[in-house]
Amino acid sequence: MLVTMSGVRLSYGRWPALDKIDMEITRGEFLVISGASGAGKTTLLRLIWMGDKPDSGFVEVGGFRSDRIRRRELPQLRRKIGIVFQDFRLLHTRTVFDNVALPLQVSGTRNRTVQKRVISLLARMGLSHRRNSFPHELSGGEQQRVAIARAMVAHPVLLLADEPTGNLDPEVSREVVELLLEINRGGTTVVMATHDPRQVPAGKGRFLFLDRGVLRGADRWTELDQDS
Amino acid sequence: MDRTGSGLMSFIRSAVREITLNLHFRPGARLITLLMVALAFVVFNTFLIISWNLQSIMDREENLVGMEVFLQRDISPGEGRVVGDLISSLPGIKSVYYVSPQEAEALFRAELPGRTDLLDVMGSDFRLPASLQIAFETEAMSQERMSELSRTIGAIEGVKDAVYGENYLPGLIKTVITIRRLVILLGIVLVSSISLVVFYTVRLSVVRRSLTVNIMRTVGAPWWFIRVPFVVEGVFMGMTGSACGLALTAVLSEVLSGAVTHRFMPLSWMTLVILLGAVTGTVGALAGSYEKER
Ligand SMILES: Nc1ncnc2c1ncn2[C@@H]1O[C@H](COP(=O)(O)OP(=O)(O)OP(=O)(O)O)[C@@H](O)[C@H]1O
Ligand SMILES: [Mg+2]
Repeated sequence: MLVTMSGVRLSYGRWPALDKIDMEITRGEFLVISGASGAGKTTLLRLIWMGDKPDSGFVEVGGFRSDRIRRRELPQLRRKIGIVFQDFRLLHTRTVFDNVALPLQVSGTRNRTVQKRVISLLARMGLSHRRNSFPHELSGGEQQRVAIARAMVAHPVLLLADEPTGNLDPEVSREVVELLLEINRGGTTVVMATHDPRQVPAGKGRFLFLDRGVLRGADRWTELDQDS
Repeated sequence: MDRTGSGLMSFIRSAVREITLNLHFRPGARLITLLMVALAFVVFNTFLIISWNLQSIMDREENLVGMEVFLQRDISPGEGRVVGDLISSLPGIKSVYYVSPQEAEALFRAELPGRTDLLDVMGSDFRLPASLQIAFETEAMSQERMSELSRTIGAIEGVKDAVYGENYLPGLIKTVITIRRLVILLGIVLVSSISLVVFYTVRLSVVRRSLTVNIMRTVGAPWWFIRVPFVVEGVFMGMTGSACGLALTAVLSEVLSGAVTHRFMPLSWMTLVILLGAVTGTVGALAGSYEKER
C-alpha cells in the first residue's frame, strides 16, 4: 500500500475540513478525487505530502507515518512525491530549465545528471524550445506542463495533482489529463483532485467523491454522469 | 529514490547558486529595506555619539573631584612619595600625583600671574608646601566615603591637611549618576527598538518570498537549504544597513562639527553597531523563513 489514511480528521476552526477518512491508495493506480469547492480536496492532498498533520488518525505514505515522522524526514518523503497545483507555482524569476531542475538541485544531484535529466524530460514534454524562457512568457498550458515536468524530474513514486486543469481551457485541459494518464501508464501512482471528474474518462481510474469533508466512494460518479 | 549522483559538493554548489539568485531578486525592494535599516541606525548612532561625548565630559568633571593633600613643610621629596604610596594603597584611590614645591610654585605662577609678587615678597628661601593630588575611583565618590578617606589620610604621619570640595561634591555625584542611569535606560530602549525595526524589516522582506519557500518545501528541500540563503540575506542586509547608517551619521557629524564640537564614536563601538545589525538581521531572516517553512 502506498498511502493509507486511517480515522483522519482535520479541523480549521470549528468545522472539520476532513472527517472519518479511511482510504488506501495502491501503487500504480490513477485516483480521481472530486467534490465541490470547499469539500476538502486540497486539504486531503496536503495531508498526503504532510504539509499538514491530522488532528486525529494518521496518514502513512511510503513507510512514513504522520504521527511518527520527524521534521528532518519530511524532505525525504517529499522527494518521493511530485506535486502539481492549479496555479502552477513556478518560480517566476527562473527559467523553465531552472524550475524543472529545482527538485534535483535541492537534493544535491550532480550537475551533469541534472543537465541530462532535465534536457531529456523537456524534450519528451515538447518544451525544449522553451527551456530558456521565463514562466510569464509561456501560455497556461505550457506553464502547467513545466510544473508537471518539475514534479516528475526526480522520478517520484506518487504524483499529486491538485486541480491541474483549473486554469486551463477545455482543449488544453484534455492534453494535461492525457499527460497525467501517460505518466500513470509509466508506473507512477497519480492522485488528481478536481471538481469535474468527467475530465477523466470512466474506466481509466478509480473515482472517489468528497462531500463536505467526508468520502463517499465511487457511486457519485455515475450520478454525475447521468446528470449531464 | 535513486541516490546516485548525489554529493555534498553538488549540494553546496546548488546552495551557493540559490544564495546568488536570492540576492539578485528584486533589488528595489532590497534597497528600501536597506534604507529602513540605515535610517534606524542613524537614530541609534546619534544617540551613541551623544552619550559618548557626554561620557567624556563627565569623566573630565569627575577628575576635577579630587582631593588635595598638603604635606608638612619638613617632609623630604622621598618621604612625600612614601606617603603617596601609602595613600594609593587605600581602597577607592585611582591615582596619586606628587607635586613638589617647585612644581607648586610653577603652577601658582601659571594660574595666578597677577599675584607673583606675593612669592617675591616671601623671599628666595620661601617654598610652597609639597602636596599630593588624589583622584578617586567612581565608586568611592560619595559624601561618606570622601569624608572617611579625608579623615584617614589626614591622620597619616607627614600630612598636614586633606582638602576636597565638600560643598559641591554630593550634587555633582548625584547628577552624574542620574545622567548615567538615563543614558543606560535610553540605550536599552534604543537597542531594543532598533533590533525590532531591523528584525521586522528583514523578516518582511523574507516573508514576501513565501511562495519560494513553499515551493522549496514541496520539492523536498532540506530546511538548511531553504534557510541558508535567507540567513546570508539577513547578515548582508543587517551589515550593509548598519554600515550605511554609520556612513550617513559620519556625514551628519562632519556637517554639524562646525556648530557643535564633538567626537565621533570610537572604532570598537562602530564594530559593535555593525555586529548588532548583522545579528538582528540574521534573526529576522531566520524568523521569516521559519514562519513559512514547516
Ligand atoms: N488554511 C486554512 N485555514 C482555514 N480554513 C481552511 C484552510 N484551508 C482550507 N480551509 C477550509 O477547509 C475546507 C476545505 O478546503 P479545501 O481547500 O481543502 O477545499 P477544496 O475541496 O480544495 O476546494 P476548492 O475546490 O475550492 O479548491 C474549506 O471549508 C476551507 O475554507
Ligand atoms: Mg482546492
